[in-house]
Amino acid sequence: MNAAMQQETFVDGISFWAQRLPGWEIAGAVLAGRADPPVVAGRRPSPELLPPAERRRAPDSVALAMEVAAGACAAAAVDPAGLASVFATTHADLAITDYLCETLVRAPLHTSPTRFHNSVHNAAAGYWCIATGCHAPYTTLSVHEYSFAAGLFETLLQVASDGRPVLYVAFDIEACGPLAPITVSHGLLGAGLVLSPVRTATSRARLSWSTRPGGGAQSTAARSANTELIGGNAMAACLPFYEALAAGGGPVTLALGPDLLLDVVLDSCAPAPP
Amino acid sequence: MPSPQTAAEQALAQLIVSAVNLEDVRPADIDPEAPLFGDGLGLDSIDALELALEISRRYGVQLRADDEENRRIFSSLRALAAHVESQRSA
Amino acid sequence: MTAERSVAGSRAPEHYSPGRMTPFSINAFTVTSALGCGLAAQLDMLVGRRSGLRANDFTEHELATWIGRVGGLETAPLPERFSEWDCRNNRLAWLALQQDGLLDAIARARARHGAGRIALLLGTSTSSIGATEEAYRRLTPDGQFPAALRRPIIHTAHSLGGFVQRALGLDGICATIATACSSSVKVFAQAARLMRCGLADAAVVGGVDTLCGSVLFGFNSLELVSTEPCRPFDVNRRGISIGEAGGFALLERDGAGPWLLGYGESSDAHHMSSPHPDGLGARLAIGDALARSGLAAADIGYINLHGTASARNDEVEARVIGDLFPATTHASSTKGWTGHALGAAGYLESAISLLAIQHGIAPGNLNTTTLDPACGPQIRLDNAPLARPVALSQSFGFGGSNCVLAFGTERPH
Repeated sequence: MNAAMQQETFVDGISFWAQRLPGWEIAGAVLAGRADPPVVAGRRPSPELLPPAERRRAPDSVALAMEVAAGACAAAAVDPAGLASVFATTHADLAITDYLCETLVRAPLHTSPTRFHNSVHNAAAGYWCIATGCHAPYTTLSVHEYSFAAGLFETLLQVASDGRPVLYVAFDIEACGPLAPITVSHGLLGAGLVLSPVRTATSRARLSWSTRPGGGAQSTAARSANTELIGGNAMAACLPFYEALAAGGGPVTLALGPDLLLDVVLDSCAPAPP
Repeated sequence: MPSPQTAAEQALAQLIVSAVNLEDVRPADIDPEAPLFGDGLGLDSIDALELALEISRRYGVQLRADDEENRRIFSSLRALAAHVESQRSA
Repeated sequence: MTAERSVAGSRAPEHYSPGRMTPFSINAFTVTSALGCGLAAQLDMLVGRRSGLRANDFTEHELATWIGRVGGLETAPLPERFSEWDCRNNRLAWLALQQDGLLDAIARARARHGAGRIALLLGTSTSSIGATEEAYRRLTPDGQFPAALRRPIIHTAHSLGGFVQRALGLDGICATIATACSSSVKVFAQAARLMRCGLADAAVVGGVDTLCGSVLFGFNSLELVSTEPCRPFDVNRRGISIGEAGGFALLERDGAGPWLLGYGESSDAHHMSSPHPDGLGARLAIGDALARSGLAAADIGYINLHGTASARNDEVEARVIGDLFPATTHASSTKGWTGHALGAAGYLESAISLLAIQHGIAPGNLNTTTLDPACGPQIRLDNAPLARPVALSQSFGFGGSNCVLAFGTERPH
């Protein structure tokens, strides 16, 4: 697939959350090699945007996704209520998958209705729209190890196609139970972006992109220190992209499929004048 | 001043707090005569299903969401405890 | 992070109003469900008003309900070269791919455009979680997955997209979309965006979802499964019958139709598992689908409703249809034939809508005897000749994800 360079896109909001990198302010400095990670891991985010009933039902995956979604919107100073969104998660809530499978063996009639309705792949996106009163559409997708790049691509496509800003949220959580050795994922990792078709007062990077045929060996590698820190999470393929953002720009190539690459060039830019 | 919880109500209050993850509520603080749903504890239809499941596991008493008696049965901790006790001894 | 902080001083995106879109030709399509393999089987059962539902014989643990099961999958493993991908969901995908000349049509599209210019977008809700459930049933004494099921690719959502990409030999954009019951209609919207932006010349879209314990006992925990064959829009409806289905369509810019005329997507922002009480999200999605297709409500001949036979969905959806469409529009749910195929339901019902406009027959509801008083004159019990070959197919999912598609036999001018 040879695609011409698409129209410019602007990065208006960035967010990031991992236990050792709780928030973009810390994560940006650590990913760029300007600071050491904090020794003590951050506590699981508490999704305060949610109404009380949804908050007490929110599993880890939802809490994590809400944290980075809200963080990206706050950084972009954009009202989430009208914002279309794309959510990428390789495995959705692995703890609930383990719970459901284990309960089905032991006592299927005791399946928890709350956990079942939290098991859908789009649970985090659904909670996000409830929390923000957002009626704009969302998409939730998985492309296994290519999930981050595929979600970023879908977000860029929507910005280009519809000419409106779009929120992107990528996350995966820790696997547990008998599934854990097969579906490997460690810790919590969430990352967010608000991408805009025009430069705004919060734009911090200009982004151009294209796709081309090619294998994963050609994709950009993350810095080894960062891989050691959070590389065990199923969404760790987002690291090279956020390293480039942290470094103030640069080219990044991400594998978008077994034989397809996404080339991204990031350049820091001044915000549009108010 | 809420009337004190009976022993059965205390046990049921603990079950409710744990079943629907009421992080900020202590079981002993649930007024046995206050509404569980809506303005009271703020529970909703999914919570009713979750509570019914836990009650059936703990007490062997079956409750279904489409039971027309549910409005009365789930009206308060006291009403729910009384219903569970009556069904267990039935 | 608080609501106040995130909203303070923020820019509000303007309400997005879509303009009319360029339609796309559906140059091949097929579907396999409890009604049988391929389009002819679906049409035969629809016209003959025969249901594919049967008493639950799928779960090991007893569950009194009715299901829409595709026969024979248990004894039809994937060909040896795909053995890594073998599981019930991918078997259904493979079976569906063999019908209605789809593979030949895709091969011709490959020759025209190249394998890298054909996107592959597939919807599912649970993908092959049935294989994960089986692994938990068959754990080794030390608590490990049995050796035959230690295949990471079948224990994740992209099992579906990854397998079909391999099976079709495509290497363009590929994604598995999982937005619960709207999954396999949203893929049409994504395909339209990709082709509009020149990032693909054709797209294979579709959906596959199979029966599994998680959804049968999960919907049972929500007290949503019916103990009898589901009766959409019946005043005495008692819940859903869960089904399974798989199917695929080939979209291109040019062709002889039928045509994807428009799509509309929205979010309810109300509740994870109950529809917005006024059907707000449904109304937004219908409005955007009509706007993109340049159609008025009165132009619609047939609407395939979400119509799950749950108390809440059907009540809200009936009111929305009554408010928005004239009495001449024929609307129905076909879930009494197929059951609710969840992540594949949207695609299955899109294929039924395409059959309806191609063959000039609008299905009614099946198993339904007395319509809920919430229904307007649009919602019909019996099949009828179709007045206008233009259809909507609407799907509303958990998490408040809504998507509506518009199809027609003629390319509008």
